Amino acid sequence: MSVGAVDVDVAGEMLALLPERAALWSARRTLIVADWHLGKAAVFGSRGLAIPDGDTARDFDTLRGLITAHAPERLLVLGDLMHAPPRPGDDWPQQLADWLGAFPDLEFVVVAGNHDRVPASALPAGLDARIDWHDNHLDEGPFRFAHEPEAAAGRYVLAGHLHPTRRLVMGADRMRAPAFWFRGDWGVLPAYGGFTGGMNIKPERGDRVFVTGPGAVVEVTGA
Amino acid sequence: MSLAQHRVDNWFAAQGWEVFDFQRESWNAFSDGRSGLIHSPTGSGKTLAAWLGPLMASGDTEGGLRVLWITPLRALANDTTRSLSEAAAALGSPWRVEMRTGDTSQTKKQRQRTKPPEALVTTPESLSVLLSYADGGKLFRHLEAVVVDEWHELMGNKRGVQLELCLARLTALRPGLPVWGLSATLANLEEARDVLCWGRDAPALVQGAMPKKTTIEALYPDTLERFPWAGRLGIGLVDAVVAQLKRANTTLVFTNTRSQAELWFEALMKARPDWVGTLALHHGSIDRKLRQRIEQGLAEGQLRAVVCTSSLDLGVDFAPVDQVLQVGSPKGVARLMQRAGRSGHQPGAVSAVCCVPTYALELVEIVAARDAWRQRDIEARLPLRRSLDVLVQHLVTVALGGGFEPEAMLDEIRQTHAFAKITETEWGWCLDFITRGGQALSGYPQFRRVASVDGVMRMTDRRLSRQHRMGIGTISSDTAMRVKWLSGGSLGTIEEGFISRLDKGDRFLFAGRLVELVQVRDMTAYVRRAKGSRKAVPRWQGGRMPLSTALADSMLGVLARFAAGQRDDPELGIVAPLLEHQTTVSRLPAPGLLLVERCKTREGVSLFFYPFAGRLVHEGMATLVAWRISRERPITFTLSVNDYGFELLTQQDIEIDAESVQRWLATDDLVDHLYASANLSEAAKRQFRDIARIAGLVFQGYPGSGKSTRQIQASSGLIFDVLERYDGENLLLDQARREVLEAQLESQRMRAALERLADCEVALVDTEALSPFAFPLWAERLQSQIMSSETWRARVERMAERLNAGAERGRRAS
Repeated sequence: MSVGAVDVDVAGEMLALLPERAALWSARRTLIVADWHLGKAAVFGSRGLAIPDGDTARDFDTLRGLITAHAPERLLVLGDLMHAPPRPGDDWPQQLADWLGAFPDLEFVVVAGNHDRVPASALPAGLDARIDWHDNHLDEGPFRFAHEPEAAAGRYVLAGHLHPTRRLVMGADRMRAPAFWFRGDWGVLPAYGGFTGGMNIKPERGDRVFVTGPGAVVEVTGA
Repeated sequence: MSLAQHRVDNWFAAQGWEVFDFQRESWNAFSDGRSGLIHSPTGSGKTLAAWLGPLMASGDTEGGLRVLWITPLRALANDTTRSLSEAAAALGSPWRVEMRTGDTSQTKKQRQRTKPPEALVTTPESLSVLLSYADGGKLFRHLEAVVVDEWHELMGNKRGVQLELCLARLTALRPGLPVWGLSATLANLEEARDVLCWGRDAPALVQGAMPKKTTIEALYPDTLERFPWAGRLGIGLVDAVVAQLKRANTTLVFTNTRSQAELWFEALMKARPDWVGTLALHHGSIDRKLRQRIEQGLAEGQLRAVVCTSSLDLGVDFAPVDQVLQVGSPKGVARLMQRAGRSGHQPGAVSAVCCVPTYALELVEIVAARDAWRQRDIEARLPLRRSLDVLVQHLVTVALGGGFEPEAMLDEIRQTHAFAKITETEWGWCLDFITRGGQALSGYPQFRRVASVDGVMRMTDRRLSRQHRMGIGTISSDTAMRVKWLSGGSLGTIEEGFISRLDKGDRFLFAGRLVELVQVRDMTAYVRRAKGSRKAVPRWQGGRMPLSTALADSMLGVLARFAAGQRDDPELGIVAPLLEHQTTVSRLPAPGLLLVERCKTREGVSLFFYPFAGRLVHEGMATLVAWRISRERPITFTLSVNDYGFELLTQQDIEIDAESVQRWLATDDLVDHLYASANLSEAAKRQFRDIARIAGLVFQGYPGSGKSTRQIQASSGLIFDVLERYDGENLLLDQARREVLEAQLESQRMRAALERLADCEVALVDTEALSPFAFPLWAERLQSQIMSSETWRARVERMAERLNAGAERGRRAS
């Protein structure tokens, strides 16, 4: 169990929400993240805005730590694995390939997001072959894993895409943190990538919201 | 007397003017080959003092450009060009005077380079661009003088640094080049002269005509009862203002912020709908064409009043203006006097400014301004040093404009005040940054901007060159969104942050009109006219100028004078009940006394400190004190500040005595402790946005290139984080922190204030309810900051508990 994680019953299954902005579905030994946005720094660089690309390495390290700690059999990415197709000179495809190389038995499953819709040939062949791509969604157990949170009859949808964050205010004290956001028949994970923005969510009554931060996940449901 | 002097005398005589001593003094100093600074109020003939020296010295038109006239405002260039041309024509000079600004057409700019006029009126930014052309050296070969108009406006900021570097470049191209400046009143005129004429022999300081007589008056309510204790918009006196406007033909109504200008314009229009067409609104976010129309209306005497901000502090003299009102705190004595000087341009006329307080304690500030002016106790503007972002930009400019040899260039920039003391390390870092982007960015080819070719640093890439020219300048441009009518036509610009908090259909006040947000597309907010009640008034960044030390000190003096029973000023008579109430429930702040109040309210325990050191210093002090307390135990504070003091609010109990107050305010480890406080890094992040742009770290994008690049610019905060994590040695980050310390928190001023407080008696008072001085701070709390030493988890759980409990109550209630 991760330090600071919170167990939540979602559609009858137990999910552990981790402070590292990932969810663990222990029953199926699956680690779930959304919106990694690999290569975003490089895209910014090409548009004339330089970002020393350290977040990429940190994101790999964090995920490596989670896999070592929880030993999942499968890593499931709910879309937007990459920010844009790799361009000549980009390091991240090789970094991803090397990183996966360290976990030869790990299944790497990606539900394609809007940013992932690129020609298969854009990725190095070996890497592409290692990824189990799902174009629209993946149904399993009570869940539908998708990129965008669209309701699906008879299934509980787990998705990403929105990069939810929650703004908290008490008196004049305030902060903003990436959040897990669950509603009746869908739930959205926070963006995993460190170099991503966020959308402030406005929960409705009945929603459950969990904010993530250094070493803790805290429920802040009150709508 | 020379023939030229005879002509001048004849021309002056024909106009019915007299040659002032300071004008002749300036002309003589110029003909001796000296540089210098002319200090004279607006409208006193200082333009001719600076212009006729070079004009008389040489009448021929061989050799091209002879005089560069630098003006801080594009809007001034037009008028200056006209008056320089008129003087040249009147004296029979064949010289052509042209202007060159960002608005000048490409063809004209091209012609100015191939066939230059004898005198060119331009801005610091356009001068930089001229230096970025490879043939720049040729253009300036025969330059005989540079005149810098309104130097006091440039000196304290990065535009001044940019100009210093350009002047060093011009002097390298034309050794011995005389430089002359024109300045309004400052406390440090000699320093202003020395910075401008750095490295030149015995520069002159020419004192102009004596300042016009100036009076400071106030509008105030008959009694204090209906006058608020706090608030910055305070349109309570609108009827009195309307009455005051009727007494003059043309009035400028100055406000301190653009939001305040919008609200006052609305209030005046509501009070006098029949004045439509003769009442105008002028501020920096309003479309430039609209502003020009208003300026023209002023010059022609068609307007009864213009509600404006610092956008009309400078500029053309609007002769018809015969009254100036100042709404809200005057903030500084020099500033108030400059505004007063916008009226009464007829010879011998009295400049008068009438202050309109927005809440009770501002009445004391007005008395303080009058006292300070009487004693000529005015503010200084301090020149900047070591702005490496500006240097980096300049180096790329010069690399593009023909190139430079590093050693010669280092000597050259050391001829400026700003970089006289640059270290070898800093210089080496700058060269590294322009050649490979520094340590963290070396992977990106677009940051290999400059390369050494046979020992000369040059920039050759055409795309990068084009990008660089477009980015020249240091004026910060917030990520502004255009505001346009849905039906076409531009209203101005507004900050992105404000729009993002609105929903479609929300109404807000902009450019004096009630508008409704229709949609946001491509960094443009489309609006249409709305009816009904307004919902929001935009808040623009900036305009949060602190009360000056001169004025703050004077204010403590006024309070002491009041306590001693000297209450002659009518304003003090009005505010007396409030000050007496303060004396009853607490104490009156005074020189030599540090008042600290503690008050328990529903929201927790509030500590109010009153150092009277200005808003920016208080921001730093509040952070410092909160951080020092929070080191002793986990605690969360809400901080709020104003010009008189600051408040720390906490839910936890807190021990306090005179000894602990002195400990929290000690100067020991001041800079380290300020660096360590969380707010500083937030502030540095904001400051970094400009630095990143000036140094060429972010490219603003081509005009009209749409949203992608502009949106990227907004994420400079993200870059700051990443740079901080992976390239901590980056000198631009260092500069951001330094600028925050020096410019935003005024660390020098803070140190001086802390040293003063160390000698103060600490008066600790428990109050039953908010005192008159505490109340404005309480009201200020909306803009407060947070400082916490609790763990993230403890803090969020406390907030979540409140939130969840609130939701629970909501459920039970429904």
